[in-house]
Amino acid sequence: MNETDDKLAMAARGLATEIAPERDLWPGIEAAINAPKRSRWTPILAQAAAVVLLVGASSMVTYVVVKYDDANTPPQTVVQVAPSNLVFEQAAFGPDHTLDSLYGRAGGNVESDLDRELQNLSPEAREDINRNLAVMRQAIDEISAALEKEPNNVFLQELLVEAYGNELAMMNRVGNMTQRVMARKDI
Amino acid sequence: MEALLTAPASDYSSQMVSLERPALTDEADWIARAQRSDSKAFEYLYRMHIDRVYGLCLRMTGNVSEAEDCAQDAFIQAWSKLDRFRGDSAFGTWLHRIAVNAVLGRIRKSKREQDRIQIAFEQSSSPVSATDHGEMRDLSEAVDRLPEGARHVFVLHAVYGYSHEETGNMLDIAAGTSKAQLHRARRLLAQQLKEQGFEE
Repeated sequence: MNETDDKLAMAARGLATEIAPERDLWPGIEAAINAPKRSRWTPILAQAAAVVLLVGASSMVTYVVVKYDDANTPPQTVVQVAPSNLVFEQAAFGPDHTLDSLYGRAGGNVESDLDRELQNLSPEAREDINRNLAVMRQAIDEISAALEKEPNNVFLQELLVEAYGNELAMMNRVGNMTQRVMARKDI
Repeated sequence: MEALLTAPASDYSSQMVSLERPALTDEADWIARAQRSDSKAFEYLYRMHIDRVYGLCLRMTGNVSEAEDCAQDAFIQAWSKLDRFRGDSAFGTWLHRIAVNAVLGRIRKSKREQDRIQIAFEQSSSPVSATDHGEMRDLSEAVDRLPEGARHVFVLHAVYGYSHEETGNMLDIAAGTSKAQLHRARRLLAQQLKEQGFEE
């Protein structure tokens, strides 16, 4: 350490170490420490979780209704079903991603089975299924909209796949109802 | 006050005791109270330490608004970590460490913002220098112009008196790096001050 360093070191020791802020910072600190603790869940994650719950619950209701109808309802008169709200829409993961073509093919097959089976169901059961499918599709739309804003959000992508899977599973379940009934040996 | 002057000595002495601050004067007691979520006790600790914490933030950032944000962040983080304070070091040192982390965190988080602030800062006079006078003001401004790493080491070691080991721990660098940065800071400061006619 030379003379200049010594002088610098001494001068540095003379610099003020306590400096009063120009404004009182306590109100901001007080507000922060007294604020109710926020959940670590972000709004988008909370919405996504709600969508999953909704889809799961609606699937369960549909399953119960279909099963009940399957076991107890005698064959009904054929009723013309308006297919407009059951059009199998082109699915997509936002602007940057598209679904595998396998899903499209499976959807196409299931759609025709679903239409056929819906005609055999009671109006009440049909209405339940349509309502639940509508809920699922709304969930799909909402997740897709969220994905458009965050196309690389893996969690949302997984949610969307799951929602599509649920939709397909329900359509498949309803569509294959006759086959399942025919396969039963207890009746 | 008149009543105190006219009252018998035995009376006003007892009243004078009641005018004093509550008996809780030991910092450890205030810390203990704050650890039990007493925000008033924490406010008392804030009042005791804010100037030193803010001074460190201001010297490290060289920017008033950044320093205010860092000081606020530091106290908010200190509140949330109070239960982890075991008294192994002085409370002020513990706060300083949190403040340094707050400064470094903000720098890492928004490097671009820092660059913008640095440009704005270079175009204006040093906010820190207002607290210093004469040659100290020159030195203060020269410190503010140091590169980030050298400035942080110089402020912690040369201004606040932390050892190279402590400085290294706070900045997450080796003690040897701290020494090297200090050497660099001294060289740059000497050069700057020489150009400004600072007396050898």
